[in-house]
Amino acid sequence: MVIDWLPSVLIVTLLVLAVIGGVRRANLWRAGQPDKVNIVAGLLAMPKRYLHDLHHVVERDKYMSRIHVATAGGFVLSMALVILVHVFGVGHQLLAGALLVALVLMFVGALFIAKRRFNPPSRLSKGPWMRLPKSLLTFAVTFFVLTLPMAGVLPEGTGGWLLTIVLSIGIVLSLSEMLFGMTWGGPMKHAFAGALHLAFHRRPERFGGGRSTGLKPAELGGKVHGVAKPSDFKWNQLLGFDACVQCGKCEAMCPAFAAGQPLNPKKLIQDMVVGLAGGTDANYAGSPYPAADGKGKALGEAQGGINNVITAGLIDADTLWSCTTCRACVEECPMMIEHVDAIVDMRRFLTMEKGKTPNKGAEILENIIATDNPNGHSPASRTHWAADQNLPLMKEKKVVDVLFWVSDGAFDMRSQRILRAFVSLMKAANVDVAILGDEERDSGDVARRLGDDATFQSLAKRNLATLSQYEFNKIVTTDPHAYHCLRNEYGDFDDDGVLSKGASGQGVEILHHTTFLNQLVQQGLLKLDAFKGGKVTYHDPCYLGRYNGEYDAPRELLRSLGIEIAEMERSGFRSRCCGGGGGAPITDIPGERRIADMRMEDVIATSAELVAVGCQQCTAMLEGVVEPRPVVKDIAEILVGQLAEEVH
Amino acid sequence: MSLNVVSLVSVGRHPQSGRARRADQDGRAVELGLKLVAKALSVVHVGDPDDPVLRQYAGMGLPSMTILKQDKSIDAVPILSQFLQQEKIDIVLTGVRAESGESSGMVPYLLAHALGWPVVARVADIVSVKDGEAQVLLALPRGQRRAVSVKLPFIASVDHAAEIARQSAFALGLRASIESVESVGEVDRIRVDWQESVAKSRPKRLKTVKAKTAAERFKAATAKPEGGTGKVMKNETPKEKARAIFDLLLEEKVIR
Amino acid sequence: MSNVSSLGISSLGIVRRDPRKEWIARNRLHPLYHEVINEGLGSVVGPSGLIRKNPHQIGFIGPNGIKRIDRLKGNGADTSNKRHGSAQEVVLPLHVVTTPDFYLVVVPDLVGGRLSSHDKDILGLAHALQGGMEGNGAVVAVCFGDVKETQFDLAGVDRLIHLTGTEFEGFTPEARVAALVQIDTQLAPQHWLFPDSIHGGTDLGSRLAASLGERPATQAWQVIPEKVVCRGAGGSLDIARQTPRIVMVLEECGNAIDETRHEVLPISVDALEIQSAHLIDHGQVAVDPNEIPLAEAEFIVSAGNGIHNWAQYHQTAQALGATEGASRVAVDDGFMPRFRQVGASGTWVTARVYLAVGISGAIQHMQGIGQCEKIIAINTDAGCDMVKRSHLSVIDDSDVILSELMQLAQEYGVNDKPSQENSPEESQNVA
Repeated sequence: MVIDWLPSVLIVTLLVLAVIGGVRRANLWRAGQPDKVNIVAGLLAMPKRYLHDLHHVVERDKYMSRIHVATAGGFVLSMALVILVHVFGVGHQLLAGALLVALVLMFVGALFIAKRRFNPPSRLSKGPWMRLPKSLLTFAVTFFVLTLPMAGVLPEGTGGWLLTIVLSIGIVLSLSEMLFGMTWGGPMKHAFAGALHLAFHRRPERFGGGRSTGLKPAELGGKVHGVAKPSDFKWNQLLGFDACVQCGKCEAMCPAFAAGQPLNPKKLIQDMVVGLAGGTDANYAGSPYPAADGKGKALGEAQGGINNVITAGLIDADTLWSCTTCRACVEECPMMIEHVDAIVDMRRFLTMEKGKTPNKGAEILENIIATDNPNGHSPASRTHWAADQNLPLMKEKKVVDVLFWVSDGAFDMRSQRILRAFVSLMKAANVDVAILGDEERDSGDVARRLGDDATFQSLAKRNLATLSQYEFNKIVTTDPHAYHCLRNEYGDFDDDGVLSKGASGQGVEILHHTTFLNQLVQQGLLKLDAFKGGKVTYHDPCYLGRYNGEYDAPRELLRSLGIEIAEMERSGFRSRCCGGGGGAPITDIPGERRIADMRMEDVIATSAELVAVGCQQCTAMLEGVVEPRPVVKDIAEILVGQLAEEVH
Repeated sequence: MSLNVVSLVSVGRHPQSGRARRADQDGRAVELGLKLVAKALSVVHVGDPDDPVLRQYAGMGLPSMTILKQDKSIDAVPILSQFLQQEKIDIVLTGVRAESGESSGMVPYLLAHALGWPVVARVADIVSVKDGEAQVLLALPRGQRRAVSVKLPFIASVDHAAEIARQSAFALGLRASIESVESVGEVDRIRVDWQESVAKSRPKRLKTVKAKTAAERFKAATAKPEGGTGKVMKNETPKEKARAIFDLLLEEKVIR
Repeated sequence: MSNVSSLGISSLGIVRRDPRKEWIARNRLHPLYHEVINEGLGSVVGPSGLIRKNPHQIGFIGPNGIKRIDRLKGNGADTSNKRHGSAQEVVLPLHVVTTPDFYLVVVPDLVGGRLSSHDKDILGLAHALQGGMEGNGAVVAVCFGDVKETQFDLAGVDRLIHLTGTEFEGFTPEARVAALVQIDTQLAPQHWLFPDSIHGGTDLGSRLAASLGERPATQAWQVIPEKVVCRGAGGSLDIARQTPRIVMVLEECGNAIDETRHEVLPISVDALEIQSAHLIDHGQVAVDPNEIPLAEAEFIVSAGNGIHNWAQYHQTAQALGATEGASRVAVDDGFMPRFRQVGASGTWVTARVYLAVGISGAIQHMQGIGQCEKIIAINTDAGCDMVKRSHLSVIDDSDVILSELMQLAQEYGVNDKPSQENSPEESQNVA
């Protein structure tokens, strides 16, 4: 046997190449900005993050989760054993036997993967990804045969040099994919980058059942605001883009993509990869960005480089402005990629550096800066809605149990109905409540999502300064966007502990009104009659559900009225956005359909007559759908209608 | 020939909040200047170089601004005319009226008088500048325009019908260099004696009834106010309905 | 006294007898006998303001067309009633200023050659000002170019300076200001009053102030001889100051003259030296109605969900010479561009006439048209909010009405006429 050494040499060569590729790839990521990551702890936590958190996401698709366990588990195990058995020549029969078992496991998994690829859904990328199952099968078969003699199943030297040559070809083919491709940009890159992404994730709080949804503050006063070039991303964000498996779950969930707006989260992430590695998108083999005229950019036209401005040639600004920041893509991504962070980072560049917020964006931002509300109303008219509500002001009370954060709904006649309903409910429950009145300012949500972090930070600091003058135990708001800002984003600016410690030192409880009302109902402070209307469904606002994990309180409230909720197909963490978030109605990027219309179709599909909502923005968007359509009501409005009359 | 254009800017005041802001018309004056000469535009302000509002102008993409450092009580016109005389300037752009201070709208006129230049009021656009002459569109009410040509140099006050000021980018404003120039000015003496107070709302003119008899006064006091629901045409023929609409349009003189 | 009449016609048209007057008419020795008898027999205000009898007006035309003298001396109830019925033209007393001690000069805008209500208010204000000052002042109006106004006397013009000649035709602020400077040296007026308006008053006043080195009061809204109150700081401030020589006055700040006539004596201006103008007027530019910003447009035809034939809608809007607007739904559905959207989330419009076709009127839309004067609705739903707000509503299918309207517009020939009817003399003046 002249060429017995060939397989091991090949394996070693490809391993070395893979290591070289890995170092090279890591250098690409390192072109990004530094970010504080605990490397050791991250690496140690990685297996658990993979097995628990990532698997939890994949588990939503049972078929995929099982075959992935078989294939990936089989591959990792067999690769380790291959190195032991075929490189270091540990000739123990048991090891070889184990290797055979691992390979069979992998083979079975790969077969199912191949089966899936016979008729793949449109969200899956094609191209090299169609080749992957074949490579997996080749690997399994090649090493199975190669190992048989060592396991003692076949005598040594079976097949002679011809078989060795054939096996060597198999080794080259499969390991090129599995090792070389892993670090040089093939489909298997997801395993390498994905594992490291889990270890060095920018939001480690997300693992272990946690939630981290607040945007990171932009650095102001530096060389660049936001992300202009791929190298302006944090290094672990770049790593995150590389982790993408192109499964297209994000694409399937994205409301903007469904509405035909020029956004496809998967393509966006792949374009980021093009940006970080340099080159064009010619090799992309998935769905493109939808284009209203049906044409769009041809593949290969988008060009990027680590130091090229992203919006100058790689992606269109419209793509970034189509996003409603609903986080459906992030929620769905098995690789835990943070699409929304990346989009807002790039928007920051467009707004703060370029001054190019599209359509009404510029006007709205200017209004927020000059009047602390997006529509340029007089700040002195913020409390006009409450003229007849007899609500005490914090300025007078100083100390109160519940601070009602009214939000900018105060200026909108439709939203005022929700506010009034909520006030009636609080009065019925004798809540010790006060409002900030004209001292309140916009929470900064819209400014931040439109990329103007300077304005957001200024608003956050001023709001916190106002809040620091008073004592209160809870902040309750009917606006999930303000709720999210107060709960998850003000913390970065709360140096004095206004919210984290509060007057009591215990920290201020920040609640959405549905949560708060649910507490009141549970405590028996609200007496409600049963609801006798027709069928009711519930629309989860993104900023309440996905951003803050509150799926139960609104449902419990509805149930307390005796309502059996006719759930929409997409509800809970998969709820479809109303189209009102992230400043999308302001930037107003044209598509083929309106997101709100699609959501209303979801509602109509349940044959509900009433859709309960927990957000003034959702209410406005859904009510904007042309009638006839089901009635849209905030939960507070439904509850106030069922308030039992007190008999005195 | 490269044009030398100067836009004069002031600190504006938001009509709703009363907060200092980039003045609307001054912003448009900068926008028009940027359209004419792009980054070669000079932008000049008399006042406090540390005023944060200046950054809002700079955020429109100005590499630098010149601030003639002065106290609020100082009359800006002599300082400006002195400054403008120093350089060979072709066009000076201002707003029609400032949003703060006296809001008299006299600055362009006084400067023009001091410099001996023509002044063009309420400019909607400067269409072209060729051979030392500018083709200018003036804003008339209801979106109408008048074409005027004027020889350089001249002063133009920019109407709110002009192109709206571009978005101010935070970072550009932050980075622009604000060049503060010391200047000698005089206190505005006339203004010292004025009494300023928060604007009272002006009474709306009522329909004055010149009633000479008690009966007429009684009638005027009890007359049913005009308005109420309008006329609804339901069962007439389409021709009659269209005729009624058309007649109303004629009556209102919107069809000519 | 002059109001006694044996028969009063109350405001409701009911004929009432006045027993006291009848009693006086029967008694020739009553001190008021002559007043009662001669009442309504035609009296005329003489040039000096004295009331005189006009013998020709005594008597009345009888039922058969023959003129008769009323011998019943007020006792004939029926006939005197008839005399009241034929409304007598009121002749107002003439205000005479023989030798003025000083002048107040008003430079009206004369939009379209006629005094605007703003102009008339300021003429009235000038008289009020004059009344509060020592001595006898005359109000002078300075007019340029082609003037169509015929009622300067009723508007309170004591003296009129009318400057004609090509140098004052059209847009000629420089020549006009040179003339005003000349007038200033000639008359040395106590005050100059200008309408603070976009029709040229502000421009002219500011130019004159700069030329004379005067510090004018601008945006003045209270003007008395000692003090003016002006708006400052973008309308947020009231500045009270001594009344300067030049005052530019906001709208509705004076009461137009309505009880006197004035002489309108011409004043000639000494030979004027007008230097060649720097500003050369090329006339008004024809503006496509659809180029006019929505917020400024005077006449908007707005389309909503009820439009089915969009080509027809565009044609009709064009035929009527209207600016196009749209409801949010029409924009969302892609039929109209976003910048056409009217309403709280689109543009707030100020059109004088707003024709809403197939728009039922969501609250945001109604907010956006709050400032429109006349609203016309074409809708199939008679109960919708738009119909409730409209001055004229037509309940019918939009297609039918629009095609009828288009036909009417074509018959009328809207597009054959020049677009600026209001100032033809200016549009022709292409230098």
